[in-house]
Amino acid sequence: MATEALTPGSGARSGRNDAAWLLTIWIVLSIIGCLLVALVWGPHMPPGRASVQAASQATDITVLGTIATPVVIGVLLYFGWALAFWRQQPGDETDAAPLHGNVKVQTTWIAGTSAIVLALAVYGTVELINPAGAGAGQGPQPVFRNGMPPAASATSWAPGTNNILQVQVIGQQWAWTFRYPQFGGFETTQLVIPVNQPVQFNVTSLDVIHSFWAYTLGVKADANPGVNNVAYTTATVTGDFQVRCDELCGIWHGSMYDTGQVMSVSGFLAWTKTTAATMAGVTKMLPPYALTYDPTTLNLGKVNAALGLTGAGGGYYNPADPEQP
Amino acid sequence: MSLPARVATLVVAFLAVVAGVLWVVFDIIGAQPQTENYMPYAQGGQVNVTMMTAAQTTVTNKPDWVTYFIQNPSTKQFDHTTYFAVPANTTVNVTILGYDGCTPLRNPLWGKVAGTTGNVENVQYYNGKTLSASQALTTFNSWANCAVQHTFAIPGLGLNVPIASPTTVAENNNLCGTSPCVAPADAGSPHTVVKFSFKTPGTPGSYRWQCFVPCGLGYVDGNGGPMSTPGYMAGEMEVQA
Ligand SMILES: [Cu+2]
Ligand SMILES: [Cu+2]
Repeated sequence: MATEALTPGSGARSGRNDAAWLLTIWIVLSIIGCLLVALVWGPHMPPGRASVQAASQATDITVLGTIATPVVIGVLLYFGWALAFWRQQPGDETDAAPLHGNVKVQTTWIAGTSAIVLALAVYGTVELINPAGAGAGQGPQPVFRNGMPPAASATSWAPGTNNILQVQVIGQQWAWTFRYPQFGGFETTQLVIPVNQPVQFNVTSLDVIHSFWAYTLGVKADANPGVNNVAYTTATVTGDFQVRCDELCGIWHGSMYDTGQVMSVSGFLAWTKTTAATMAGVTKMLPPYALTYDPTTLNLGKVNAALGLTGAGGGYYNPADPEQP
Repeated sequence: MSLPARVATLVVAFLAVVAGVLWVVFDIIGAQPQTENYMPYAQGGQVNVTMMTAAQTTVTNKPDWVTYFIQNPSTKQFDHTTYFAVPANTTVNVTILGYDGCTPLRNPLWGKVAGTTGNVENVQYYNGKTLSASQALTTFNSWANCAVQHTFAIPGLGLNVPIASPTTVAENNNLCGTSPCVAPADAGSPHTVVKFSFKTPGTPGSYRWQCFVPCGLGYVDGNGGPMSTPGYMAGEMEVQA
């Protein structure tokens, strides 16, 4: 760190080699700090490890946290050292020595920070490509599929095949509903997915912009009207998970949450069977399954038409508007 | 102006501003419609709550907004509010007098009755002349038919009740025009009588409810205005111990 160059004479005054001390303490503290962050704090990093995507995010946060630790320790150590040892002595009225450029310090600084930033850029890009965008919404045409093939069938599903499970997430003021096209297209207020099976969430909205946020699954995707936003997850632990709306969407935005459930595959298949049966009466009234729905073009019966009614009470997004509002 | 007079003026002006801010915060932003307290009227684990829907709110400064009313259990008047208090662990027998015409649901899923006792609602239709016999209904197709006017949904309890509407164009063009729809304003207007029951949870707390028909006509998505204002198409059920 060549501190003597920045504070000439301060160490010399006491006969202490500041640079050697700082470097030694910094290395020792950094090793301890990195081990603590990676091994002690790491396993508790958000968002937890309830899905492949969440685990990947937790790993990313642990890696970034570990890399940041020596930087934080270096800054705080230098700051503390300066406060403790380089303060003005009583009665010392002399001015500090003028600063000149120091090639060694500048080169070290530029090389060091460039290496860290470039390494993070490479790591971040690889992580974005690899685990399907780290669980974020991937837009209408996801580029990175995490090696997942497109659904071979939009109307049936069997576990452990290339045929990825489709779950449509529909945001509306102010509730989430979920549609399962591969099980007869029923829609329900419950979100249930099987454990250890890749799931493709197709996220859309019937009115304003909402945001589907299944925090512990590592999934967050905006729900935009007229847009299908895709996000993937593979849950690895059975049990409950929370779903929240993460885009201010009106008066009851704060209560737009649900508890989802990750079930065993057999439990999930049984659930789809009972739910399809319970919902059969209303399923046939739903519009045909589609990736987006436009309430201005509903297929309405005679009486509604005679009264001049549509499914869009007020104005609605113009279909001519750009796809991404 | 003397110094004391100047100081006094400053203090008065300052207090006026503070009072103005407090008034905005508590009286405008924090305003909440009155709560109809059904607590003392519960008997044997049951309580009867009566509400009304209307095509307009002539008792407020928003006369063209659709709205709910709740009956005051002691005066039997229909008050302009959507807040009511009921006991925990109690069966609530709700009667809703549906005086509004039909509007299609945006999401037909809300046409299914859910979370009520037996997952049904009992509906009687009054066409202006006769009241039909009660029918137990489970599903309404608001796209194919003129079937639903509003819904009463408590998402936190999985409760969803479509409020049946008068069914024909003639009836819809003949709705009660002054609210609340009681005599003499209501001289035999077409309406429905919707009855259902549900059990309140054991945990006290406030459970928000809303309508899922985009009935805020003239507002973006039909979800502004009355849909976004407590006291019209949304409110809270206070469950008390
Ligand atoms: Cu929302
Ligand atoms: Cu409504």
